[in-house]
Amino acid sequence: MVKKLFDEIVTIRENRRVNAKYRKLVFVSPELSRHVLPGQFLHVKINQGRDPYLRRPFSYYRAQKNTVEILYEVLGHGTDVLSRKKKGDSLKIMGPLGNNFKIDLKGKKRILVGGGIGVPPLVHLAERFPSDYLLMGTKSSAEVLPGNELKRVKAKILYATEDGSIGAKGFVTAPLEKIIKKENPQDLFIQTCGPKPMMLAVMAMARRYGVRGEASWDEAMACGVGACLGCMVETTEGLKRACVDGPVFNFEELVGR
Amino acid sequence: MKIDLTMRIKGLRLKNPVTVASGTFGTADEYAGFVNYRELGAIITKTITVKPRSGNPMPRICEVSAGMLNAIGLQNRGLEDFVEHKIPYFKKLGVPLIVSIAGESTKEFGLLAKAMGRFPSVVKALEVNLSCPNVEGGGVNFMRKQKRILDAIQAVRDNAGVLVFAKLSPELGDVLQIAEKVLAKGTDGLSLINTLRGMSVHIKKRASRIVRDFGGLSGPAIKPVALRYVYQAKKEFGVPIIASGGISNWQDAVEFLIVGADLLAVGTANFVEPMATMDILRGLKDFCRTEKIATLDALRGTYVPAEGGRKDANNECICSGA
Repeated sequence: MVKKLFDEIVTIRENRRVNAKYRKLVFVSPELSRHVLPGQFLHVKINQGRDPYLRRPFSYYRAQKNTVEILYEVLGHGTDVLSRKKKGDSLKIMGPLGNNFKIDLKGKKRILVGGGIGVPPLVHLAERFPSDYLLMGTKSSAEVLPGNELKRVKAKILYATEDGSIGAKGFVTAPLEKIIKKENPQDLFIQTCGPKPMMLAVMAMARRYGVRGEASWDEAMACGVGACLGCMVETTEGLKRACVDGPVFNFEELVGR
Repeated sequence: MKIDLTMRIKGLRLKNPVTVASGTFGTADEYAGFVNYRELGAIITKTITVKPRSGNPMPRICEVSAGMLNAIGLQNRGLEDFVEHKIPYFKKLGVPLIVSIAGESTKEFGLLAKAMGRFPSVVKALEVNLSCPNVEGGGVNFMRKQKRILDAIQAVRDNAGVLVFAKLSPELGDVLQIAEKVLAKGTDGLSLINTLRGMSVHIKKRASRIVRDFGGLSGPAIKPVALRYVYQAKKEFGVPIIASGGISNWQDAVEFLIVGADLLAVGTANFVEPMATMDILRGLKDFCRTEKIATLDALRGTYVPAEGGRKDANNECICSGA
Protein backbone atom coordinates (compact mmCIF):
# COMPACT_ATOMS: atom_id res chain seq x y z
CA MET A 1 0.00 0.00 0.00
CA VAL A 2 1.68 3.20 -1.13
CA LYS A 3 -0.15 6.29 0.02
CA LYS A 4 0.73 9.86 -0.78
CA LEU A 5 3.10 10.97 1.93
CA PHE A 6 4.92 14.17 2.54
CA ASP A 7 8.12 14.84 4.42
CA GLU A 8 8.41 18.56 4.96
CA ILE A 9 10.58 21.01 6.82
CA VAL A 10 8.11 23.26 8.59
CA THR A 11 8.45 26.43 10.62
CA ILE A 12 6.90 26.58 14.06
CA ARG A 13 4.32 29.28 14.38
CA GLU A 14 3.31 28.58 17.94
CA ASN A 15 4.52 26.26 20.69
CA ARG A 16 2.93 27.03 24.02
CA ARG A 17 1.36 25.63 27.13
CA VAL A 18 -2.41 25.18 26.95
CA ASN A 19 -3.03 23.92 30.49
CA ALA A 20 -1.38 21.85 33.20
CA LYS A 21 -1.18 18.90 30.83
CA TYR A 22 -1.00 19.91 27.23
CA ARG A 23 1.17 22.02 25.00
CA LYS A 24 0.12 23.07 21.54
CA LEU A 25 2.36 23.15 18.50
CA VAL A 26 1.20 24.99 15.39
CA PHE A 27 2.87 25.05 11.99
CA VAL A 28 1.96 25.84 8.39
CA SER A 29 2.13 23.15 5.75
CA PRO A 30 -0.35 22.90 2.88
CA GLU A 31 0.85 19.36 2.17
CA LEU A 32 0.55 18.02 5.68
CA SER A 33 -2.83 19.63 6.30
CA ARG A 34 -4.51 18.33 3.16
CA HIS A 35 -6.36 15.00 2.89
CA VAL A 36 -5.97 14.27 6.57
CA LEU A 37 -8.55 12.26 8.43
CA PRO A 38 -8.93 12.07 12.22
CA GLY A 39 -6.87 9.30 13.75
CA GLN A 40 -3.94 9.69 11.39
CA PHE A 41 -0.59 10.80 12.71
CA LEU A 42 2.58 12.73 11.94
CA HIS A 43 6.14 11.56 12.45
CA VAL A 44 8.29 14.39 13.74
CA LYS A 45 12.07 14.72 13.54
CA ILE A 46 12.50 17.08 16.44
CA ASN A 47 16.16 17.92 15.86
CA GLN A 48 18.12 17.44 12.69
CA GLY A 49 21.03 16.02 14.68
CA ARG A 50 21.23 12.85 16.72
CA ASP A 51 19.45 13.96 19.85
CA PRO A 52 16.75 12.81 19.70
CA TYR A 53 17.62 10.49 16.85
CA LEU A 54 14.36 8.75 16.03
CA ARG A 55 11.22 10.58 15.01
CA ARG A 56 8.27 10.85 17.38
CA PRO A 57 4.69 10.12 16.37
CA PHE A 58 1.93 12.62 17.22
CA SER A 59 -1.78 12.56 16.38
CA TYR A 60 -3.25 15.32 14.33
CA TYR A 61 -5.22 17.62 16.61
CA ARG A 62 -6.37 20.07 13.99
CA ALA A 63 -5.73 20.42 10.25
CA GLN A 64 -7.45 23.27 8.51
CA LYS A 65 -6.54 25.26 5.45
CA ASN A 66 -2.74 25.34 5.60
CA THR A 67 -2.33 25.00 9.31
CA VAL A 68 -1.66 21.92 11.39
CA GLU A 69 -1.97 21.75 15.17
CA ILE A 70 -0.59 19.10 17.48
CA LEU A 71 -1.46 18.79 21.15
CA TYR A 72 1.21 17.04 23.19
CA GLU A 73 2.31 16.31 26.70
CA VAL A 74 5.91 16.38 27.86
CA LEU A 75 6.45 12.74 28.75
CA GLY A 76 10.05 12.01 27.91
CA HIS A 77 13.20 13.32 26.35
CA GLY A 78 11.75 13.84 22.86
CA THR A 79 8.77 15.90 23.98
CA ASP A 80 10.97 17.78 26.44
CA VAL A 81 13.23 18.91 23.58
CA LEU A 82 10.16 19.72 21.49
CA SER A 83 8.74 21.88 24.27
CA ARG A 84 11.84 24.09 24.13
CA LYS A 85 11.41 24.87 20.45
CA LYS A 86 10.54 28.49 19.71
CA LYS A 87 8.42 30.22 17.13
CA GLY A 88 10.46 30.31 13.93
CA ASP A 89 12.37 27.10 14.67
CA SER A 90 12.00 24.30 12.16
CA LEU A 91 10.99 20.66 12.37
CA LYS A 92 11.00 17.90 9.78
CA ILE A 93 7.62 16.25 9.67
CA MET A 94 6.30 13.30 7.70
CA GLY A 95 2.63 12.54 7.23
CA PRO A 96 -0.18 11.87 7.11
CA LEU A 97 0.48 8.34 8.35
CA GLY A 98 -1.69 5.45 9.46
CA ASN A 99 -5.38 4.79 9.04
CA ASN A 100 -8.24 6.88 10.37
CA PHE A 101 -11.30 6.58 12.55
CA LYS A 102 -14.40 5.52 10.67
CA ILE A 103 -16.17 8.64 9.41
CA ASP A 104 -19.50 7.32 8.13
CA LEU A 105 -21.24 5.49 10.95
CA LYS A 106 -24.37 4.76 8.87
CA GLY A 107 -26.70 6.57 11.23
CA LYS A 108 -25.24 5.27 14.48
CA LYS A 109 -24.54 7.70 17.30
CA ARG A 110 -20.86 8.51 17.67
CA ILE A 111 -19.48 8.27 21.20
CA LEU A 112 -15.91 9.47 21.56
CA VAL A 113 -14.08 8.32 24.66
CA GLY A 114 -10.70 9.89 25.33
CA GLY A 115 -8.22 9.98 28.12
CA GLY A 116 -4.93 11.77 28.60
CA ILE A 117 -3.04 12.34 25.40
CA GLY A 118 -5.65 10.31 23.52
CA VAL A 119 -8.01 13.27 23.52
CA PRO A 120 -6.56 15.33 20.59
CA PRO A 121 -7.52 13.03 17.69
CA LEU A 122 -11.04 12.73 19.11
CA VAL A 123 -11.44 16.51 19.25
CA HIS A 124 -10.24 16.55 15.65
CA LEU A 125 -12.96 14.06 14.79
CA ALA A 126 -15.66 15.87 16.78
CA GLU A 127 -14.86 19.20 15.15
CA ARG A 128 -15.10 17.90 11.63
CA PHE A 129 -17.74 15.20 11.66
CA PRO A 130 -21.10 14.79 13.36
CA SER A 131 -20.58 13.37 16.83
CA ASP A 132 -23.00 12.86 19.69
CA TYR A 133 -20.87 12.53 22.79
CA LEU A 134 -17.30 13.42 23.69
CA LEU A 135 -16.28 11.83 26.99
CA MET A 136 -12.98 12.78 28.49
CA GLY A 137 -11.27 11.25 31.48
CA THR A 138 -8.54 13.16 33.30
CA LYS A 139 -6.91 13.27 36.69
CA SER A 140 -8.37 16.66 37.62
CA SER A 141 -9.95 19.83 36.24
CA ALA A 142 -6.45 21.29 35.74
CA GLU A 143 -6.01 18.92 32.82
CA VAL A 144 -9.28 19.75 31.10
CA LEU A 145 -8.92 21.58 27.81
CA PRO A 146 -9.86 25.27 27.99
CA GLY A 147 -13.24 26.21 26.54
CA ASN A 148 -11.85 27.99 23.48
CA GLU A 149 -10.19 24.73 22.41
CA LEU A 150 -13.54 22.98 22.42
CA LYS A 151 -15.86 25.68 21.09
CA ARG A 152 -16.19 24.01 17.68
CA VAL A 153 -17.17 20.68 19.16
CA LYS A 154 -20.91 20.23 18.78
CA ALA A 155 -21.10 16.94 20.61
CA LYS A 156 -22.27 16.79 24.22
CA ILE A 157 -19.13 16.97 26.35
CA LEU A 158 -18.88 14.94 29.54
CA TYR A 159 -16.00 14.69 31.96
CA ALA A 160 -14.83 12.17 34.49
CA THR A 161 -12.01 13.16 36.81
CA GLU A 162 -10.17 10.97 39.28
CA ASP A 163 -10.51 13.62 42.01
CA GLY A 164 -14.04 14.64 41.08
CA SER A 165 -13.01 18.26 40.49
CA ILE A 166 -15.09 18.33 37.33
CA GLY A 167 -17.73 15.98 35.96
CA ALA A 168 -18.23 12.52 37.39
CA LYS A 169 -15.77 11.33 40.01
CA GLY A 170 -13.92 8.25 38.86
CA PHE A 171 -13.25 6.74 35.50
CA VAL A 172 -14.74 7.66 32.17
CA THR A 173 -16.52 4.31 31.97
CA ALA A 174 -19.11 5.57 34.49
CA PRO A 175 -20.63 8.26 32.22
CA LEU A 176 -20.17 5.90 29.28
CA GLU A 177 -22.29 3.25 30.96
CA LYS A 178 -25.03 5.80 31.66
CA ILE A 179 -25.21 6.68 27.98
CA ILE A 180 -25.22 3.07 26.87
CA LYS A 181 -28.04 2.25 29.30
CA LYS A 182 -30.07 5.21 28.07
CA GLU A 183 -29.71 4.30 24.40
CA ASN A 184 -30.10 1.22 22.26
CA PRO A 185 -26.61 -0.39 22.11
CA GLN A 186 -27.17 -1.30 18.45
CA ASP A 187 -27.48 2.39 17.62
CA LEU A 188 -24.13 3.37 19.16
CA PHE A 189 -20.55 3.34 17.95
CA ILE A 190 -17.62 4.03 20.27
CA GLN A 191 -14.31 5.51 19.15
CA THR A 192 -11.67 5.57 21.83
CA CYS A 193 -8.12 6.74 22.30
CA GLY A 194 -6.18 6.98 25.52
CA PRO A 195 -4.20 5.00 28.06
CA LYS A 196 -4.47 1.26 27.47
CA PRO A 197 -6.14 0.43 30.82
CA MET A 198 -8.85 2.97 29.94
CA MET A 199 -9.35 1.56 26.45
CA LEU A 200 -9.45 -1.97 27.83
CA ALA A 201 -12.16 -0.95 30.28
CA VAL A 202 -14.11 0.78 27.50
CA MET A 203 -13.79 -2.27 25.27
CA ALA A 204 -14.88 -4.62 28.06
CA MET A 205 -17.95 -2.48 28.66
CA ALA A 206 -18.73 -2.29 24.95
CA ARG A 207 -18.54 -6.07 24.73
CA ARG A 208 -20.81 -6.46 27.74
CA TYR A 209 -23.53 -4.31 26.19
CA GLY A 210 -22.96 -5.31 22.59
CA VAL A 211 -21.76 -1.90 21.39
CA ARG A 212 -19.39 -1.83 18.45
CA GLY A 213 -16.46 0.46 18.15
CA GLU A 214 -12.81 1.03 17.42
CA ALA A 215 -9.71 1.98 19.37
CA SER A 216 -6.54 3.82 18.46
CA TRP A 217 -3.98 1.36 19.72
CA ASP A 218 -0.33 2.19 19.37
CA GLU A 219 3.05 1.02 20.52
CA ALA A 220 6.50 2.61 20.57
CA MET A 221 7.52 2.92 16.94
CA ALA A 222 10.67 3.77 15.05
CA CYS A 223 9.98 4.10 11.34
CA GLY A 224 6.26 4.90 11.15
CA VAL A 225 6.02 3.34 7.69
CA GLY A 226 5.74 -0.37 8.44
CA ALA A 227 9.37 -1.39 8.11
CA CYS A 228 10.86 -1.80 11.57
CA LEU A 229 8.15 -4.04 13.10
CA GLY A 230 8.54 -2.22 16.40
CA CYS A 231 4.86 -1.41 16.90
CA MET A 232 3.11 -4.74 16.41
CA VAL A 233 -0.41 -5.22 17.72
CA GLU A 234 -1.87 -8.65 18.38
CA THR A 235 -5.18 -8.96 16.62
CA THR A 236 -7.59 -11.76 15.81
CA GLU A 237 -6.09 -11.70 12.32
CA GLY A 238 -2.55 -12.05 13.59
CA LEU A 239 0.14 -9.48 14.25
CA LYS A 240 -0.49 -6.10 12.66
CA ARG A 241 1.59 -2.94 12.49
CA ALA A 242 0.11 -0.03 14.44
CA CYS A 243 1.76 2.48 12.09
CA VAL A 244 0.31 1.29 8.78
CA ASP A 245 -2.41 -1.28 9.54
CA GLY A 246 -3.56 0.93 12.43
CA PRO A 247 -3.42 2.80 14.66
CA VAL A 248 -7.20 2.40 14.56
CA PHE A 249 -8.46 -1.17 15.07
CA ASN A 250 -11.96 -2.57 15.47
CA PHE A 251 -12.84 -3.72 18.96
CA GLU A 252 -13.47 -7.20 17.50
CA GLU A 253 -9.92 -7.32 16.14
CA LEU A 254 -8.57 -6.55 19.58
CA VAL A 255 -10.66 -9.19 21.34
CA GLY A 256 -8.74 -11.27 23.82
CA ARG A 257 -7.10 -8.30 25.48
CA MET B 1 33.21 14.82 -14.90
CA LYS B 2 31.62 11.42 -15.20
CA ILE B 3 31.50 9.55 -11.93
CA ASP B 4 31.42 5.79 -12.13
CA LEU B 5 29.99 4.20 -9.00
CA THR B 6 29.65 0.74 -10.45
CA MET B 7 31.44 -2.03 -8.71
CA ARG B 8 32.17 -5.69 -8.94
CA ILE B 9 32.24 -8.25 -6.16
CA LYS B 10 33.73 -11.36 -7.66
CA GLY B 11 31.30 -12.12 -10.49
CA LEU B 12 28.56 -9.80 -9.28
CA ARG B 13 28.24 -6.40 -10.93
CA LEU B 14 26.41 -3.68 -8.99
CA LYS B 15 25.26 -0.25 -10.05
CA ASN B 16 26.63 1.40 -6.91
CA PRO B 17 27.71 0.47 -3.37
CA VAL B 18 24.60 1.69 -1.56
CA THR B 19 22.36 -0.95 -0.03
CA VAL B 20 20.20 -1.41 3.06
CA ALA B 21 20.99 -3.33 6.21
CA SER B 22 18.91 -6.39 6.93
CA GLY B 23 15.71 -5.68 8.81
CA THR B 24 15.70 -1.94 8.24
CA PHE B 25 13.93 -1.69 4.92
CA GLY B 26 10.74 -3.61 5.48
CA THR B 27 9.96 -6.83 3.71
CA ALA B 28 8.82 -5.59 0.32
CA ASP B 29 7.44 -2.23 -0.75
CA GLU B 30 7.44 -0.29 2.54
CA TYR B 31 9.85 2.33 1.18
CA ALA B 32 8.59 2.37 -2.39
CA GLY B 33 6.93 5.73 -1.75
CA PHE B 34 10.31 7.29 -0.96
CA VAL B 35 13.01 5.33 -2.73
CA ASN B 36 13.33 4.18 -6.30
CA TYR B 37 14.50 0.67 -5.48
CA ARG B 38 16.14 0.35 -8.87
CA GLU B 39 18.63 3.04 -7.90
CA LEU B 40 20.03 0.97 -5.06
CA GLY B 41 23.10 -1.15 -5.67
CA ALA B 42 21.39 -4.07 -3.97
CA ILE B 43 18.73 -4.82 -1.38
CA ILE B 44 19.52 -6.91 1.67
CA THR B 45 16.31 -8.49 2.89
CA LYS B 46 15.01 -8.82 6.38
CA THR B 47 16.27 -12.13 7.74
CA ILE B 48 14.18 -15.11 6.73
CA THR B 49 13.88 -18.27 8.75
CA VAL B 50 12.51 -21.64 7.68
CA LYS B 51 9.36 -21.37 9.78
CA PRO B 52 7.40 -18.16 10.34
CA ARG B 53 8.39 -16.36 13.51
CA SER B 54 6.12 -13.97 15.38
CA GLY B 55 9.01 -12.27 17.17
CA ASN B 56 9.00 -10.84 20.67
CA PRO B 57 6.16 -9.08 22.53
CA MET B 58 6.14 -5.27 22.83
CA PRO B 59 7.86 -3.01 23.65
CA ARG B 60 10.46 -4.01 21.15
CA ILE B 61 12.27 -0.76 20.66
CA CYS B 62 13.47 2.28 22.53
CA GLU B 63 15.69 5.20 21.76
CA VAL B 64 19.10 5.50 23.40
CA SER B 65 21.88 8.04 22.86
CA ALA B 66 22.44 8.39 19.11
CA GLY B 67 20.67 5.17 18.29
CA MET B 68 18.12 2.61 19.33
CA LEU B 69 17.77 -0.73 21.03
CA ASN B 70 15.64 -3.34 19.35
CA ALA B 71 14.35 -6.72 20.37
CA ILE B 72 12.23 -7.53 17.33
CA GLY B 73 13.20 -11.19 17.43
CA LEU B 74 13.44 -12.02 13.71
CA GLN B 75 9.72 -11.65 13.03
CA ASN B 76 9.14 -12.90 9.50
CA ARG B 77 6.67 -14.99 7.55
CA GLY B 78 9.08 -17.79 6.84
CA LEU B 79 10.66 -19.34 3.79
CA GLU B 80 7.50 -20.45 2.04
CA ASP B 81 5.92 -16.99 2.10
CA PHE B 82 9.20 -15.44 0.97
CA VAL B 83 9.37 -17.67 -2.05
CA GLU B 84 5.72 -17.21 -2.88
CA HIS B 85 5.38 -13.45 -2.37
CA LYS B 86 8.68 -11.67 -1.97
CA ILE B 87 10.75 -13.33 -4.70
CA PRO B 88 8.24 -12.41 -7.44
CA TYR B 89 8.11 -8.82 -6.16
CA PHE B 90 11.87 -8.37 -6.30
CA LYS B 91 12.13 -10.27 -9.56
CA LYS B 92 9.90 -7.67 -11.15
CA LEU B 93 12.03 -4.85 -9.75
CA GLY B 94 15.24 -6.29 -11.11
CA VAL B 95 17.35 -5.15 -8.14
CA PRO B 96 20.05 -7.59 -7.03
CA LEU B 97 18.84 -9.24 -3.86
CA ILE B 98 21.06 -10.31 -0.99
CA VAL B 99 18.94 -12.59 1.15
CA SER B 100 19.64 -12.65 4.85
CA ILE B 101 19.10 -16.12 6.28
CA ALA B 102 19.08 -17.54 9.80
CA GLY B 103 18.56 -21.15 10.77
CA GLU B 104 17.84 -22.60 14.16
CA SER B 105 20.03 -25.54 13.29
CA THR B 106 22.79 -26.39 10.85
CA LYS B 107 20.26 -28.26 8.77
CA GLU B 108 18.04 -25.18 8.47
CA PHE B 109 20.94 -23.03 7.28
CA GLY B 110 21.54 -25.57 4.53
CA LEU B 111 17.87 -25.75 3.65
CA LEU B 112 17.56 -21.96 3.33
CA ALA B 113 20.67 -21.74 1.17
CA LYS B 114 19.41 -24.48 -1.10
CA ALA B 115 15.97 -22.89 -1.43
CA MET B 116 17.48 -19.53 -2.41
CA GLY B 117 19.66 -21.24 -4.99
CA ARG B 118 16.51 -21.84 -7.05
CA PHE B 119 16.27 -18.14 -7.93
CA PRO B 120 19.61 -17.18 -9.46
CA SER B 121 18.08 -14.37 -11.50
CA VAL B 122 17.04 -12.53 -8.29
CA VAL B 123 19.07 -13.83 -5.38
CA LYS B 124 22.64 -12.81 -6.06
CA ALA B 125 24.12 -13.44 -2.65
CA LEU B 126 23.33 -14.72 0.83
CA GLU B 127 24.08 -12.97 4.06
CA VAL B 128 24.30 -15.54 6.82
CA ASN B 129 22.96 -13.94 9.98
CA LEU B 130 25.05 -15.52 12.70
CA SER B 131 24.62 -12.74 15.19
CA CYS B 132 21.00 -11.85 15.93
CA PRO B 133 20.96 -10.70 19.55
CA ASN B 134 17.25 -11.29 20.10
CA VAL B 135 16.52 -14.97 19.56
CA GLU B 136 17.49 -18.16 21.32
CA GLY B 137 18.08 -20.86 18.69
CA GLY B 138 20.49 -19.57 16.05
CA GLY B 139 21.02 -16.26 17.84
CA VAL B 140 24.14 -14.77 19.24
CA ASN B 141 24.09 -16.87 22.43
CA PHE B 142 23.69 -20.08 20.46
CA MET B 143 26.44 -19.09 18.08
CA ARG B 144 28.95 -18.33 20.77
CA LYS B 145 29.98 -21.96 20.36
CA GLN B 146 32.25 -21.55 17.36
CA LYS B 147 31.61 -24.99 16.02
CA ARG B 148 27.99 -23.99 15.39
CA ILE B 149 29.06 -20.99 13.32
CA LEU B 150 31.41 -23.08 11.26
CA ASP B 151 28.84 -25.84 10.77
CA ALA B 152 26.26 -23.28 9.66
CA ILE B 153 28.70 -21.72 7.20
CA GLN B 154 29.66 -25.12 5.89
CA ALA B 155 26.00 -26.04 5.38
CA VAL B 156 25.36 -22.78 3.50
CA ARG B 157 28.50 -23.16 1.41
CA ASP B 158 27.58 -26.72 0.49
CA ASN B 159 24.13 -25.67 -0.67
CA ALA B 160 24.59 -22.19 -2.12
CA GLY B 161 25.67 -21.49 -5.65
CA VAL B 162 25.84 -17.75 -5.00
CA LEU B 163 28.15 -15.45 -3.05
CA VAL B 164 28.08 -15.99 0.70
CA PHE B 165 28.68 -13.27 3.27
CA ALA B 166 28.94 -14.04 7.00
CA LYS B 167 27.35 -11.40 9.21
CA LEU B 168 29.36 -11.16 12.38
CA SER B 169 29.36 -9.10 15.52
CA PRO B 170 31.80 -8.66 18.39
CA GLU B 171 29.11 -10.33 20.50
CA LEU B 172 30.28 -13.66 19.07
CA GLY B 173 33.79 -13.31 20.40
CA ASP B 174 36.90 -12.21 18.56
CA VAL B 175 35.58 -11.00 15.22
CA LEU B 176 38.85 -11.30 13.34
CA GLN B 177 39.54 -14.79 14.61
CA ILE B 178 36.03 -15.95 13.65
CA ALA B 179 36.29 -14.17 10.31
CA GLU B 180 39.45 -16.05 9.52
CA LYS B 181 37.75 -19.36 10.23
CA VAL B 182 34.60 -18.66 8.25
CA LEU B 183 36.67 -17.45 5.31
CA ALA B 184 38.67 -20.66 5.46
CA LYS B 185 35.33 -22.50 5.04
CA GLY B 186 34.81 -20.80 1.72
CA THR B 187 32.81 -17.72 2.69
CA ASP B 188 33.20 -15.08 -0.02
CA GLY B 189 33.00 -12.05 2.19
CA LEU B 190 32.03 -10.55 5.53
CA SER B 191 29.16 -8.39 6.68
CA LEU B 192 30.28 -6.17 9.54
CA ILE B 193 28.77 -5.45 11.99
CA ASN B 194 25.49 -6.63 13.43
CA THR B 195 24.01 -4.78 16.42
CA LEU B 196 25.80 -4.79 19.75
CA ARG B 197 23.87 -5.93 22.79
CA GLY B 198 22.93 -3.12 25.10
CA MET B 199 20.55 -2.20 27.90
CA SER B 200 18.28 0.67 28.83
CA VAL B 201 16.61 0.97 32.22
CA HIS B 202 13.33 2.67 33.06
CA ILE B 203 14.25 4.40 36.30
CA LYS B 204 10.78 4.36 37.83
CA LYS B 205 10.02 0.75 36.94
CA ARG B 206 13.64 -0.26 37.53
CA ALA B 207 13.23 -2.56 34.59
CA SER B 208 14.22 -2.75 30.97
CA ARG B 209 12.59 -0.25 28.61
CA ILE B 210 12.19 -3.07 26.09
CA VAL B 211 10.72 -6.54 26.48
CA ARG B 212 14.07 -8.24 27.00
CA ASP B 213 16.91 -7.29 29.31
CA PHE B 214 19.20 -6.71 26.34
CA GLY B 215 18.51 -5.47 22.85
CA GLY B 216 20.51 -4.83 19.72
CA LEU B 217 22.11 -1.40 19.71
CA SER B 218 22.17 0.25 16.30
CA GLY B 219 22.54 3.69 14.81
CA PRO B 220 25.30 6.33 14.92
CA ALA B 221 26.25 5.13 18.42
CA ILE B 222 27.94 2.03 16.98
CA LYS B 223 29.56 3.60 13.93
CA PRO B 224 33.11 3.92 15.33
CA VAL B 225 33.06 0.24 16.29
CA ALA B 226 31.80 -0.81 12.87
CA LEU B 227 34.36 1.35 11.12
CA ARG B 228 37.17 -0.21 13.11
CA TYR B 229 36.11 -3.77 12.33
CA VAL B 230 35.65 -3.07 8.63
CA TYR B 231 39.10 -1.50 8.55
CA GLN B 232 40.78 -4.33 10.43
CA ALA B 233 39.05 -7.10 8.50
CA LYS B 234 39.80 -5.54 5.13
CA LYS B 235 43.44 -5.06 6.04
CA GLU B 236 43.74 -8.56 7.39
CA PHE B 237 41.86 -10.55 4.75
CA GLY B 238 41.26 -8.31 1.73
CA VAL B 239 37.85 -9.91 1.11
CA PRO B 240 34.62 -8.13 0.03
CA ILE B 241 32.93 -6.44 2.97
CA ILE B 242 29.36 -5.28 3.45
CA ALA B 243 29.66 -2.48 5.99
CA SER B 244 26.86 -1.60 8.37
CA GLY B 245 26.69 0.19 11.67
CA GLY B 246 25.43 3.73 11.91
CA ILE B 247 25.83 4.80 8.29
CA SER B 248 23.45 7.74 8.20
CA ASN B 249 24.84 10.27 5.73
CA TRP B 250 27.23 10.48 2.80
CA GLN B 251 30.15 11.47 4.99
CA ASP B 252 29.71 8.21 6.91
CA ALA B 253 29.58 6.35 3.60
CA VAL B 254 32.84 7.94 2.47
CA GLU B 255 34.51 7.04 5.76
CA PHE B 256 33.57 3.39 5.32
CA LEU B 257 34.82 3.38 1.73
CA ILE B 258 38.13 4.87 2.80
CA VAL B 259 38.70 2.04 5.28
CA GLY B 260 37.89 -0.50 2.60
CA ALA B 261 34.15 -1.24 2.63
CA ASP B 262 32.67 -2.64 -0.57
CA LEU B 263 28.96 -2.31 0.07
CA LEU B 264 27.47 0.33 2.34
CA ALA B 265 24.40 -0.94 4.15
CA VAL B 266 22.26 1.88 5.50
CA GLY B 267 20.31 0.64 8.50
CA THR B 268 18.62 2.51 11.32
CA ALA B 269 18.93 5.74 9.33
CA ASN B 270 16.14 4.44 7.07
CA PHE B 271 13.80 4.61 10.06
CA VAL B 272 14.66 8.26 10.61
CA GLU B 273 14.98 9.43 7.02
CA PRO B 274 13.14 7.18 4.58
CA MET B 275 15.18 8.69 1.76
CA ALA B 276 18.51 8.21 3.52
CA THR B 277 19.84 5.84 0.85
CA MET B 278 19.04 8.25 -1.97
CA ASP B 279 20.55 11.20 -0.07
CA ILE B 280 23.70 9.18 0.56
CA LEU B 281 23.97 8.16 -3.08
CA ARG B 282 23.63 11.76 -4.22
CA GLY B 283 26.13 12.98 -1.61
CA LEU B 284 28.60 10.32 -2.60
CA LYS B 285 28.43 11.35 -6.26
CA ASP B 286 28.85 15.02 -5.37
CA PHE B 287 31.82 14.22 -3.17
CA CYS B 288 33.50 12.21 -5.94
CA ARG B 289 32.87 15.02 -8.39
CA THR B 290 34.30 17.69 -6.07
CA GLU B 291 37.30 15.56 -5.16
CA LYS B 292 37.80 14.45 -8.76
CA ILE B 293 37.44 10.79 -7.91
CA ALA B 294 36.38 9.01 -11.09
CA THR B 295 35.82 5.51 -9.75
CA LEU B 296 35.21 3.99 -6.34
CA ASP B 297 38.46 2.07 -6.57
CA ALA B 298 40.29 5.37 -6.36
CA LEU B 299 38.71 5.94 -2.97
CA ARG B 300 38.28 2.49 -1.48
CA GLY B 301 40.89 1.43 1.03
CA THR B 302 42.90 4.65 0.78
CA TYR B 303 43.04 5.15 4.53
CA VAL B 304 46.33 6.57 5.74
CA PRO B 305 47.26 4.80 8.98
CA ALA B 306 48.22 6.93 11.95
CA GLU B 307 51.93 7.40 12.24
CA GLY B 308 53.62 6.19 15.39
CA GLY B 309 50.76 3.83 16.29
CA ARG B 310 51.64 0.20 16.81
CA LYS B 311 51.30 -1.77 13.62
CA ASP B 312 49.55 -4.85 14.98
CA ALA B 313 45.85 -5.42 14.47
CA ASN B 314 44.93 -4.82 18.10
CA ASN B 315 46.33 -1.39 18.66
CA GLU B 316 42.99 0.19 19.35
CA CYS B 317 43.66 0.61 23.06
CA ILE B 318 47.13 2.03 22.75
CA CYS B 319 47.04 5.77 23.03
CA SER B 320 49.77 7.25 20.89
CA GLY B 321 49.57 10.51 22.79
CA ALA B 322 48.49 13.89 21.59
